[in-house]
Amino acid sequence: MDLGTLVSGTLTDTIDVSVPLFRTELAIAASVVIVLLCRMLPVLRWLDSGVVALGGAAFALAYAWADFQAAGSVRQELFGGLLVFDSLTASIRVLLAGFLVLYLMFTRISGIPDREDAADFSALVLGATLGMCLMASANHLLMVFMAVEMASVPSYALAGFLKGRKASSEAALKYAVYGAGAAGIMLYGISLLGGVTGSFHLPTMAVEIGRIVAAGGDGKVLVLVLGGLMLAVGLAFKLSAVPFHFWCPDVFEGAAAEVGAFLSVASKAAAVALTLRIVFGLGTLPAGVVDADAAAGLADARHFMVYLVGGMAAITCTLGNLAAYGQTNMKRLLAYSTVAHAGYLMMGVAAATALAGVHPANARQAVSALTFYLATYLFMNLAAFAIVAVLRNRLRSEEIAAYAGLVRTSPGMVVAAAVVLVSLIGLPPLAGFIAKFLVFSSLVQAITLTSERPLMLVLLVIGGINTVISLFYYLRVLKVMTFDPPAEDHYVEPPSAVSLAGWYITAVAVPVVVFGILWSGLYDFAQMAGTFAS
Amino acid sequence: MDLAAQLPLLLGLAWLTPLASFVAILFFGPRMGPHGRNAAWVATAAIVTSLVLSLAAFVVWLGVHPVQAVAHGEHGVVHAAADAHAGDGGHASGSHDADGHLAADHGHGDPHQPAAYSGNWYTLYRGGRLELSIGYYIDALTVLMFVVVTFIATCIHVYASGYMHDELHEVTDHEVRLADGHHLHRPGRFPRFFQALSLFCFSMMGIVIAGNLAMVFIFWELVGICSWFLIGFYYERKSASTAANKAFIVNRVGDFGMLIGLMALWGALGTLSFADSTTVGPDGNEQVRPGLFSQFRPSEAGHVLQVPDGMVAAAAAAEVATISADHASSPADAASQIAARIPDWRGMGMGRWLLFIAGVGIFCGCVGKSAQFPLFVWLPDAMEGPTPVSALVHSATMVAAGVYLVGRFYPVLSPDVLLVIAYVGAITLFIAATIALVANDIKRVLAYSTVSQLGYMMLALGVGGWVAGLFHLVTHAFFKSLLFLCSGSVIHACHTNDMRKMGGLAKVMPWTAFTMLVGCLAIIGAGVPFVIGLSGYYSKDSILAQALSFANANPGHRVLSWAVAGGAFLTAFYMFRLWFMTFAGQPRDHHVHEHAHESPNVMVTPLVVLAVLAVVAGWTLPGGLGIANLLEQARPAGTAAGLEGGFVFGQSLLFPAEHESHEGAVHITATLTAFGTAMAGVLLAALLYLWKLISPDLIASIFRPIYAFLAGRWYFDELYDLVFVKPTLGVANLASGVDRGLIDRLIDGIAWAARGLAGIDAWIDRTLVDGLVNATANATWNAGLKLRGLQTGRLRQYVMFIVLGTVALFVLAAAAFRSAGTG
Repeated sequence: MDLGTLVSGTLTDTIDVSVPLFRTELAIAASVVIVLLCRMLPVLRWLDSGVVALGGAAFALAYAWADFQAAGSVRQELFGGLLVFDSLTASIRVLLAGFLVLYLMFTRISGIPDREDAADFSALVLGATLGMCLMASANHLLMVFMAVEMASVPSYALAGFLKGRKASSEAALKYAVYGAGAAGIMLYGISLLGGVTGSFHLPTMAVEIGRIVAAGGDGKVLVLVLGGLMLAVGLAFKLSAVPFHFWCPDVFEGAAAEVGAFLSVASKAAAVALTLRIVFGLGTLPAGVVDADAAAGLADARHFMVYLVGGMAAITCTLGNLAAYGQTNMKRLLAYSTVAHAGYLMMGVAAATALAGVHPANARQAVSALTFYLATYLFMNLAAFAIVAVLRNRLRSEEIAAYAGLVRTSPGMVVAAAVVLVSLIGLPPLAGFIAKFLVFSSLVQAITLTSERPLMLVLLVIGGINTVISLFYYLRVLKVMTFDPPAEDHYVEPPSAVSLAGWYITAVAVPVVVFGILWSGLYDFAQMAGTFAS
Repeated sequence: MDLAAQLPLLLGLAWLTPLASFVAILFFGPRMGPHGRNAAWVATAAIVTSLVLSLAAFVVWLGVHPVQAVAHGEHGVVHAAADAHAGDGGHASGSHDADGHLAADHGHGDPHQPAAYSGNWYTLYRGGRLELSIGYYIDALTVLMFVVVTFIATCIHVYASGYMHDELHEVTDHEVRLADGHHLHRPGRFPRFFQALSLFCFSMMGIVIAGNLAMVFIFWELVGICSWFLIGFYYERKSASTAANKAFIVNRVGDFGMLIGLMALWGALGTLSFADSTTVGPDGNEQVRPGLFSQFRPSEAGHVLQVPDGMVAAAAAAEVATISADHASSPADAASQIAARIPDWRGMGMGRWLLFIAGVGIFCGCVGKSAQFPLFVWLPDAMEGPTPVSALVHSATMVAAGVYLVGRFYPVLSPDVLLVIAYVGAITLFIAATIALVANDIKRVLAYSTVSQLGYMMLALGVGGWVAGLFHLVTHAFFKSLLFLCSGSVIHACHTNDMRKMGGLAKVMPWTAFTMLVGCLAIIGAGVPFVIGLSGYYSKDSILAQALSFANANPGHRVLSWAVAGGAFLTAFYMFRLWFMTFAGQPRDHHVHEHAHESPNVMVTPLVVLAVLAVVAGWTLPGGLGIANLLEQARPAGTAAGLEGGFVFGQSLLFPAEHESHEGAVHITATLTAFGTAMAGVLLAALLYLWKLISPDLIASIFRPIYAFLAGRWYFDELYDLVFVKPTLGVANLASGVDRGLIDRLIDGIAWAARGLAGIDAWIDRTLVDGLVNATANATWNAGLKLRGLQTGRLRQYVMFIVLGTVALFVLAAAAFRSAGTG
């Protein structure tokens, strides 16, 4: 092969194949550039950076949706195998881009960032989302690392965005240092894995891992385990899984509620997608490869991953819910709530992994359940943080105690809060119930169909118990809002009957109810997402 | 344009308008003007709209189905025309010339069927044999009931907007004494009253228009809950809340029977729809689902009551199973075999008990709702509600729903069930009338009178007087609501219910006194025999005539006709006792008398309107337009010919055709008996209470045991308390004791243990985990460089945990692998 063929082959691959499927990311990247230019060039001062960002997000959503429609069961490696385009990429990109649109509207309404900093804020959010899109489509361990860092670094800056507030700067510092530590360990893990298998390309690595495990014996397996664990640490940090969740409450409390919404929804969706990417990438043989030895070895590798993810899920879920009990700050409570929800999501990942390779159709169901969960979680948490932000603007407080007697001044807000919180518990007839039901039903399928029965049974029981536990702290907030008498000395300006913020919260909370009843549309969407697994 | 096709639309709108009013008042009631004053306007506007729509439907009905000048029912011209019908006269045969008779009556369409329109508006659920729908069944009875209900409701809405004006501001309830000795102060509840009233009107019309029994049951329960709201309107009063609960619970007893009846019908027949319905099947062909009426009285069998196929097959379940087992390979064969055997089985009397149970079960619901023996105890207590409620709900409409349902369900009732109904009606009529003789509370007298009159209606239906019973239902609705509104006017003026404190009120309240006199005359059936009379005269005569006719045909059941005649005497006595005690003579309590005054116009106007109707409701206009003739149009198919037979009790009963009771000797006897007994009752009342020639106290002391027995209301409440309430409470106390002593203890124990464990956990967390954490932090803090800034110590801790976590994971994984490898 001469250089010319190589170059022309790469060019064909890049321009004809990769770029058209990469236009969502390109749209986001282009809007980052324009937003930054707006800030720098006096000529472009007149452009409203928020509108530009929103426009870019809208384009991204349109492209993502078009790609999703066309995705089907296609699996297309992009840029020489660095990225992959399949149904999971497509659906997560739709979720991320959709979230981006809603989120940019929300930040404009809630007033953080102020006009001065809006351009920087938008650039950071767009940049982080770009990283998240890459997380969802990474097919190469270096890309995994790159994407995680691309998503994380702007998030650190976002956490410290309230420049005047000490808590915010402190949160940013903690987040950055913690993130750096986690990244270091992950990078070490990646280098170990790459060193043993001789590749960073996930499908290639999977075959190699299968062979190594099947051969067994020497220390190579131990190195693989160590590398895998270190990689898992990086993912656990992004998922805020116990025991790598310490940053989460502090960052959420310190940063603005708007940032909390971004981190809890987008970051979590991307992290779950990336986890799926890695467990499926490293745990199953690529299509077309027939190798009995490697397949047997990969079964062991999957077994390891199931126990790792499942065990972490159980601990994460339980600790998150228990720790939420004593919280007096609403954002801190929601931070622990996201930790707990990460636990539920990881249970689904464990079930999907257990089913992968053995019962592809059921694995597909499990992935669909996760996608459904993420989609509903998008609306639930966005609404929750939006409520916190709007109430902060009104009450100048994010303490739960400050919400006392809220039902008397703004009943609509309390109704929205009730819908969201009850959905977060997972009670019918709200979307959270359907999501949880689907995830639990994939656990049940894993119990009946796979050899991981004991662990899955334990997970199901723990998941059920946790749902009960979570009831109390979510409902305590509602109790304060409705039954507790309002503080007498605390002056609350009467809310205007019709406000943009009110409309926004309604618009975000309504899907929580609608998808709880008419969930088949969203379910069909989620079904598509799982196609890659079968 | 087909006018008849507009009937469902008109009546449907009339039905839904009060619902709209209910919803509006529910959400915006308190904001409708000062203290919700305008809620009355909203509710009244809604019911007036309903009335207008109902009247429009009535006019449409008359246009499409002109009422024929049928002879019977019109006393003046009765004989000539009636004789023409009574051609063969031999009612013992029971094979009257039904076809010709009906054809002559209606003069249009299918001679076998009464004119009726049925259909479904909305199907709630359809699957297999099960179909639940919101549908309608509209015949002359429906239209008439709509007019009556909306008309009376309109009068009462107007009246109540005056009567309830106390609720427009803060109310001090003198009947409620709080723990600190003060009277209860509470905000007024004016909108809430009209809200409940609107919901009630909606529910009541729902019963009337319902096209199937399931829908009847739904609205049946809805009027029950409205009744509960309205009786308990002054719910701070213990008596009111107890009465509301009593009414609700006693009605549930009846509804239990009704559910059994519904299940019997449903299980055996698979439909609860009255009329046949046509659906387009999956193959595109129209399928006719026979309704209840045509299953019980198929047109092939000339609308003669028979046990329907479904019930026969259900009773012969063993044989059906055998046949099905024999033809297991071809279900079609089995089905045809079974169909062929059904007439045999029917001949063997199979399914009769099921028919009986279904009929009695449905009747049980009617017993509860229409306050019949033995469930009548709730109605007198229900007078704790505001008087307009008593007038509308507890006398004129809701309690009549039971009678209405028996009438609607009439084609399905077998002779045995009818006999049960007749006896229950007779017993109720007698007991209630005797209690009314000695009651001193003006509303309670009227309440017992209502119970007694409902007994009349039931008895009439039970002896085969379909038109008579429903005719009395309509006339009674007018004069009883009038009487109640008059009593409300009196109570409004006197602020007491006790007739012993009244007297001589005719001078201060002339309008009330006069209209109430009209009501009393109407209820006793006053009139000039054979010439003209008030509305009650016609309906009561027809009941007595039918009872006599039945007694002639079945001499063993003569006691039923005595009950009617005796009841007429008692009615006249207690009604005029009431009128004389209240309005005549000298004031007994001057304090009360001084404050008494005529009620405002908004209250008097409905009295006058209703009084006029109480007079004319029974009349038949030249040309035949009259309620009895209108009802005759709705007479269920096959019931005009009378009914013969006995399905269960073994004895054969003969229900003479109703028109025979309007003829000759029976009719004359009935009219004279009714007139004589009523006059005797009035005379006796006048002797005791007007001219005071005999002292009532003397009679009371002579017949002390009987007086005490009646004043104690036959001790039914005490009996039920002893037999049902006390044991139930005993069991409940036992259960609650077990719950509190055993189960709660256990749960408390578990909770205590869990708390203990959590405590241990917390201790571990605080001392061990936190201690370790703190120790690590402190060690780091102390040993490490003293960097500036807050909380850097904690951040170090965090980063430390990343490493520690990774190591821990690795150790765990390695251990797991080691054990997996060795094991």
